Amino acid sequence: MSAYGARRTLRGMNFICVAPQAQSVSLVGDFNKWNPAENPMKRMPDGAWLVMVELAHGHHRYAFLVDGNLTLDPRAQGVTRNDQGERVSLLPVS
Amino acid sequence: MATDAKIHPVVIYPFRQPGHYSDLEELYQLIARLDEDKDTYARPITVIDRKTHFAMEADKAFLDFRKNTVARHSDVLDAWCVDTCQMWCSGLGLAYEQGGPDDVYWLIPGDFNYGTAVGREVLGRLHDLPEICLELQQDLCIGEIATDHNNSKQLIDTYGTFALLYNWFPEEAQEIRQYTERPRSEFFAIRHSFLREVLRQRWYAYEQTVVMLLQAVFTNKHMSRFFVGNISDLPEGRESFSSALQQVERTERVLKSIWRERNQPKAGWTDQYRILETQSEQVRRTAMIILKNLLG
Repeated sequence: MSAYGARRTLRGMNFICVAPQAQSVSLVGDFNKWNPAENPMKRMPDGAWLVMVELAHGHHRYAFLVDGNLTLDPRAQGVTRNDQGERVSLLPVS
Repeated sequence: MATDAKIHPVVIYPFRQPGHYSDLEELYQLIARLDEDKDTYARPITVIDRKTHFAMEADKAFLDFRKNTVARHSDVLDAWCVDTCQMWCSGLGLAYEQGGPDDVYWLIPGDFNYGTAVGREVLGRLHDLPEICLELQQDLCIGEIATDHNNSKQLIDTYGTFALLYNWFPEEAQEIRQYTERPRSEFFAIRHSFLREVLRQRWYAYEQTVVMLLQAVFTNKHMSRFFVGNISDLPEGRESFSSALQQVERTERVLKSIWRERNQPKAGWTDQYRILETQSEQVRRTAMIILKNLLG
């Protein structure tokens, strides 16, 4: 890989979803096989939801499941589609 | 990532040689690193328009830079080109002929301010474009640059490119806009099979990214968009109204041609074409008024 993309085995990544009205929010992505039970997010005092996940080097597709609705991350670095053709967010991990 | 897949970097050398080499030197430091990583990257290609070369053939600094930097870290393709898109066609075409079915081709425009702090940050992110194509099996990955709403390129795309796209290809335009606000981006990576498809079709002399995006939507290709940072074209500053107008007119010509190519086999296409052409003229005139007010 290019010298600009440093490799690490695993890197902790924080995911934040601002959804103060939501009852439940989960992080879903290729890294947890889109399983909402795998990475439930914790509600913070400011109404945002937070979870930290360790991810391997590479590009990861993900989304937030907000009360069951697949939701893009407005702060994501990219947009793509998952295997079901739904628009999802893109995260690079270097 | 497919183990035997290679990434082919294709650099489009600036048509007008900048007065200083700091941006190009920064870019070719990246190209040198890519050239060293032979497991991942094919030998980079730099396309230089012959007009650029002959305009600078008496300039020792240019000749030294070309010989000691450009030619050292990449294969130089000298080509007579009518426009930047023909440089793309020549460079990507050559890389395609050297590539294999799993390979990905990475277009790198040379005329950006890579020497600035922000430019260096962008250089650090560009490699993501071909990697996304490889890792996520994408056919096309568009690099998007953040601009403010008053940036001239943003204005051209909002009032020209997208307005015209919504007229000629309304469904496809909506799909494209779900991915990118910069349908004329010069930063992209494209997979071998999709490049084969677009190379074998009519290659337009301008606005080729718009053409590729449309083709990707027509044929349900896998597309991604990736944010590469904040950067401005060289020379810095706003584009003139006449330049903006020229870009809108070129987009209109391309969209008309594509529409006709796709619809000519259908009976009664001329009636619909006349309606769209009338609307298109209205869109272009509106764009002219807005761009004149904002850039003129």
